Amino acid sequence: MSLRIDLVEGMRIAINSLANHRLRTLLTTVGVGIGVATLLAILGIVQGMDTSFQAQLASLGSSSVYVSKHPWVQMGNWWEFRNRKNLTVDDMEAVRAQCTLCAAVVPILDDNDDVEFMGRSLNFVSITGSTAEWLTVSGFETTNGRFITDADNESRRLVAVIGTDIADTFFPNGIDPIGSTIRVAGKPFTVIGVLSRKGKILDQSQDLSVVIPFNTFKAFFRGRRSIDIGIQVKDPETLDQSEDQLVGILRRIRETPPEKPDDFAINKPDQLASTYEQLTGALYGVALGIGFITLLVGGIGIMNIMLVSVRERTREIGIRRALGATKRTIITQFVLEATLVSAVGGAIGTVVGLGGAKIVSLITPLAATVKPGTVFFGVGFAALVGLVFGIWPAARAANLDPVEALRDE
Amino acid sequence: MLIELSDIHREYTVGGELVRALAGVSIGIDRGEWVAIIGQSGSGKSTLMNVIGCLDTPTRGSYMLNGKDVSRMDDDELAGIRNAEIGFIFQNFQLLPRETALANVELPLVYRGVPAKERRAKAVEALQKVKLEARMHHKPTELSGGQRQRVAIARALAGTPSLLLADEPTGNLDSATGEEIVKLFEELHRAGHTIVLVTHEPKLAARCPRAIRLSDGKVIGDGPGAKIAYLDVAQPPVAV
Repeated sequence: MSLRIDLVEGMRIAINSLANHRLRTLLTTVGVGIGVATLLAILGIVQGMDTSFQAQLASLGSSSVYVSKHPWVQMGNWWEFRNRKNLTVDDMEAVRAQCTLCAAVVPILDDNDDVEFMGRSLNFVSITGSTAEWLTVSGFETTNGRFITDADNESRRLVAVIGTDIADTFFPNGIDPIGSTIRVAGKPFTVIGVLSRKGKILDQSQDLSVVIPFNTFKAFFRGRRSIDIGIQVKDPETLDQSEDQLVGILRRIRETPPEKPDDFAINKPDQLASTYEQLTGALYGVALGIGFITLLVGGIGIMNIMLVSVRERTREIGIRRALGATKRTIITQFVLEATLVSAVGGAIGTVVGLGGAKIVSLITPLAATVKPGTVFFGVGFAALVGLVFGIWPAARAANLDPVEALRDE
Repeated sequence: MLIELSDIHREYTVGGELVRALAGVSIGIDRGEWVAIIGQSGSGKSTLMNVIGCLDTPTRGSYMLNGKDVSRMDDDELAGIRNAEIGFIFQNFQLLPRETALANVELPLVYRGVPAKERRAKAVEALQKVKLEARMHHKPTELSGGQRQRVAIARALAGTPSLLLADEPTGNLDSATGEEIVKLFEELHRAGHTIVLVTHEPKLAARCPRAIRLSDGKVIGDGPGAKIAYLDVAQPPVAV
């Protein structure tokens, strides 16, 4: 007898059996359904977070590196970082002069402070002091007005380029901010330009910012600190070589003893990505674990109901065996039944899970997206659970002695 | 010779004790014969029926069915033999309760891989032979005992097996309905079917042209039904 006949007949029996036990089928599918729904909702949320984070990360640019005293992601001895020599403008000048693989090199100082205009105030605004080429390194553009020039920097002018969050708050309804005077940390600055919008990275706005000339920052703010060096490399493909070159230049200029490790850090946006992955990876793992446990419970539910089904239908199995059904026929019949229940549960769970992800994205800032493949994964995985947990009861059914089975009351 | 059993032994252990259900049974049955196998409970007749029906395999001895040595076949081959060569008729009918009469009759043909249309035609034909075509869309629960047994007989006939194997076919029926079924067997015998009927009722065995009496797993009588049926009635009952 062919497998095709086993499958066709098995499917017919499975559908009949499920239709004859509607309540039982429903209750069994709920178990698997909850598992699949949980998994899909979690996957949807995680995928949504990933997608928006990737987009945010891309806005940082892949060809920029930032040399700082501290790494962005600090691990290990805080004192070791603390005792490092400050990065200076001389270090920056050396890099600018010697780095052949660098396209743009800028000094950066930053801080957070209040910005005020006409009695309104924004707190914890990112204040950056840098030079003309900062635009290239950071990937921003000016959408209105102009950016800082070398002349602004040399003359320590009190001019500011503002982010869109500042512009939107202080200058709503299309009021032109250019030429207005805002107060940055209490000092009056003339707005000369507006930056393009970048959105959020890890829920932190990149647009709540003010950029002023580097020398102005140094003169008026806490300027005796370690600076950062922002660098745009010529070719993103040669990022690694550029890094090596930077390390060489900086160790030489800073006279780092050869036996000592680097006393500075080269930071890249993709370091944020790995941090993000570490953070969400654990969350992801726990959530997936919960989903799998739910599915396991659902699977055991299926196994249980299949064992009951086999017990109830012992005589039917005997009859079928007497009339010529092979062991494989019986196994196929029961495995199909388990797979079908589970797949139905998976389909219900998919709908509920996608709905759940949608609701989450509506009521929380998490943007849930579900890739089309995930849906097939949900139903397919549920079917697989049914298959796996159906095999043992099915094998028990097939291995019944036909004579004993026929005698069953 | 359709059935050739030579020195069949069937032994199994129950609770560590060896039970010799069949202790050297040799029987030959020709095509077209109607043979009763009679014996009291514990005589081994059920085990013999299971062996003849390929539901069980002998511990020793050889069994040739329709020219094939079935005593050495594996489980799948035996399933095939049951499907092709044997039509079972059980005491308690053994119909699938959730399927219609027609679907029940079709079942052996499903397992044989007969296409749906042909399968249905053959099943209807078999139901006509037992005069139940009017009730073919009813489920077993909607049929009387006699009708159920006739569905079972139709199912046995549908696959055109070489042997009809009946186990106490009138055991669950009242005497009038039982008589109907026996008449049906007589008809089938006249039509040329080979029938082996297992029973403990001498009255039923007496109606068969040939009867084989079993006792303690051995053949103790083989001859015309009327003669063999009452062979050991005079013997004192075994103390238990």
